[in-house]
Amino acid sequence: MKRLLDMAAKVSDQAEVFSNRNDSSSLEMRNGKPSDISASIQSGYALRILKDGRIGTSYTKNLLNREELVSNALDSLKGKVKAGFSFPGPSEIPSAWEPDGSVSRMGFHDLHSRSSKVLDYMRGKIDGQIDVNTARGVMNMAIMNTNGLDVSRKSSFMYIFASLLFPNTETAVRKLYLSRKVGDFPESDLDELIKLYTSGLPEVDILTGRMKVVFTPNTMYTLLWRLSAATSGGAFYNKVSPLMDKRGEKVLSEKVTLYGDPTEPEEVDQHFFDDEGVPTKKHTVFENGVFKNLILNLDYADKLNEKSTGTGYREGMWGGETIAIPPGPSLKCSRIAAGDASFEDMIKGIDRGVIVLGVLGAHSGNILNGDFSVGLNPGLYVENGEIKGRVRDGMIAGNVYDVLQNIESVENRLHDSFTGGKYPSILIDDVSVAAK
Amino acid sequence: MIDRLKSMISGVEADFVDIRYEIKTETNINFTGREIRNVGSNRTDGYVVRAGKNGGFSTATVTREEDIPRAVELAVEGAETIIATGGKESVMAEVPLVKETIKLALDGDPREISIDDKMELTRKYNDLMLEQPSIETTSITYREIGREKHYANSEGTEVSEEIITTNIMGEVIAKRDNLVQNIRVAIGGADGYNRLLDREEDFTKRAQIAGKLLDAEPVKGGTYNVILSPMLAGVFTHEAFGHFSEADIIEDNPSLREKMSLGKKLGSDVISIVADSTIPNQIGYYVYDDEGVAVKPVTLMDKGVLTGRLHSRRTASAFGEPVSGHAVAEDMRYEPIVRMGTIYIKPGEKNLDELLAELGNGLYLIDGKGGQTSGENFTFGAQYGFEIKNGIIGSMVRDINIMGNLFTTLQNIESIGNDLELSERGGCGKGQLNIKSALGGPHVLIRNMVVGGA
Repeated sequence: MKRLLDMAAKVSDQAEVFSNRNDSSSLEMRNGKPSDISASIQSGYALRILKDGRIGTSYTKNLLNREELVSNALDSLKGKVKAGFSFPGPSEIPSAWEPDGSVSRMGFHDLHSRSSKVLDYMRGKIDGQIDVNTARGVMNMAIMNTNGLDVSRKSSFMYIFASLLFPNTETAVRKLYLSRKVGDFPESDLDELIKLYTSGLPEVDILTGRMKVVFTPNTMYTLLWRLSAATSGGAFYNKVSPLMDKRGEKVLSEKVTLYGDPTEPEEVDQHFFDDEGVPTKKHTVFENGVFKNLILNLDYADKLNEKSTGTGYREGMWGGETIAIPPGPSLKCSRIAAGDASFEDMIKGIDRGVIVLGVLGAHSGNILNGDFSVGLNPGLYVENGEIKGRVRDGMIAGNVYDVLQNIESVENRLHDSFTGGKYPSILIDDVSVAAK
Repeated sequence: MIDRLKSMISGVEADFVDIRYEIKTETNINFTGREIRNVGSNRTDGYVVRAGKNGGFSTATVTREEDIPRAVELAVEGAETIIATGGKESVMAEVPLVKETIKLALDGDPREISIDDKMELTRKYNDLMLEQPSIETTSITYREIGREKHYANSEGTEVSEEIITTNIMGEVIAKRDNLVQNIRVAIGGADGYNRLLDREEDFTKRAQIAGKLLDAEPVKGGTYNVILSPMLAGVFTHEAFGHFSEADIIEDNPSLREKMSLGKKLGSDVISIVADSTIPNQIGYYVYDDEGVAVKPVTLMDKGVLTGRLHSRRTASAFGEPVSGHAVAEDMRYEPIVRMGTIYIKPGEKNLDELLAELGNGLYLIDGKGGQTSGENFTFGAQYGFEIKNGIIGSMVRDINIMGNLFTTLQNIESIGNDLELSERGGCGKGQLNIKSALGGPHVLIRNMVVGGA
């Protein structure tokens, strides 16, 4: 890295090298049997150079030819992409949690044994197909720049993802167990999953209309995707956010507080600097419904005359290769603050409504405008506080700025979601539900 | 290169080993509004090793050549673990041994075009869109992806193939007060740079539609009879039916496998569906898949009867069906999985006016805005649509998403148009991104679709 940085420094005003190396493996069990095992050891290098107010970028996975990487960054400068920002210098960065080595030592048989425990617990309790995916990974990343920044971090994770499939379908109730150490799926969570599965076994037809809807943690990304798009620096810079000129105003129910906090002690992906080396901290976007802050990387912070919020990450909407994606604004380790209602009490209070356990098509529709229209996959129908079964062919639709005004209650507990982040369930009144 | 790959897997104690090495080149030029946001050409590479042993099968991917021994070790260990833990037994279907190098045949090699020219072409189309009424901004990207693939296996097959895909695509955004509307735009293919030239009209029209959407009303949720445009029919075919025709999707779900038995009558009499990646000049075109098998056209459905399925060597063996050459990976970071390539409904006999008259009242839905499937349930979005009353096209509507069940929807397909259009971009995200997922079809009339709406 240092050699590459030195070479880049000679041809630029400022330079930055980002590198990563990730080692992961997974075991998939479908219908109770191991069906797939795979492993991956991937690395990469990304270079950014600043010269005369312009930025040049390049990347490669195999650092075989440093000259080529520098040359590609210089060619990229010819695009005259404006960049008024500077790379950050060194700062006091606390040490993040260090992996204890247990995840690193996990072999394929360990993955199998963790999956098997879930299956053994479920066996006899439900008749349907059970799929379990278990994976582990050790991630290393480092950033150096010519302003003296030299930071690195190592993290580890393991997860178990359990799915209970309804008969003759791939529709399932699913739950994630995520940990930075080796661990087992809590039995209480599996009991909850079994309960939801059992209550969703009958298929029910419902009438189109407006009713109460519970967004559960695994479906929260439907709403958050839209809020993130509108509060991103890019949407403000391009003047296409529906929240332009609304900073400081109450735009959602006072029950909504949305923030990201990579520094939380219990965070699996705990980190104290973002993918540009900017220190991270708790970053609140909405507080009690009031739009407080934008999500910014270095570039948009400069363009909008704001301070960087430590939320610049190399990630795309669809995953993608980390090194190939330039840092952009992103709210990592996001949270919706817990409320005061238990999940059971939320359901008991529903006269007629749907619990959304999974959605299809959250990426479709006019995301920037806040519109969503998603298939229930599955959605459980509730009448007079009782789950009647899962809805056949149903959709819910609305605009995030409308529906998040009508929040009745927020669950008193946060859950890991499989799209990242920890959220409570949220009960919303008067949502449009379409069905056959 | 092939000789080096062969030496990397020689002497491995396994029943089957293969290795794929890829060099991936990417050129990206991105405009947001009038501003260039990103320009660059880059090259990456990496390896994928797969091993079969005692009936088990496993994969390891690595970036660096020095990690190949570890990748071989992990793949073999993974295969052994599958069997030792009572997992799925896998057999590779027999295929002809191949030794071939496929050269690119392009109408205009993008590698010979300067980045300045590519930038100017993209800028020209971008400016055209920005000049249209009510357009606030754009996000337009020139993307050129080259995959130089080298494949060798322990059976003796050796295949090298190069593929270059070029696109100019993105979205155009219209805004009035706090209302924001967007329309997707994409041109491109795998047959050369010249396809991207002289396409001004495509971009102008898309921008004009985005502007008109500001005056459209959100569609009302409910059940409708609908006509899908060719591109939207393609999204339906891809999302609802196509994924279900990928053998790996249903392989380990016994009840769905039973439902999708070949010979079953699943659709109405009017519908026939084909997956054909051998059609030249399409974005889905390739010769060999990523396990060295030549791709073949497959008739998946004939007059409503399920007649074929898409396979890797492993799933073909598991189902006892012919191999089809559809094991495709995104790039060198991934093992190949079953992907559908160019999929479309075969054209029928009716023109659009006849379909509109037959529809009577309902919705005419146009162009896809992404879709998703989970087993037999699917959703997809339409970019815009029109209300149809008594066969006459009426007001424009927006915010349209459709949900359905594959089996009931296939039965509800009533009429097929006589036109055929295939997409110029891919982008299916089944675990990996497939930029070559071409789709299309004719206009299609379907009864009783659930449409989500405000």
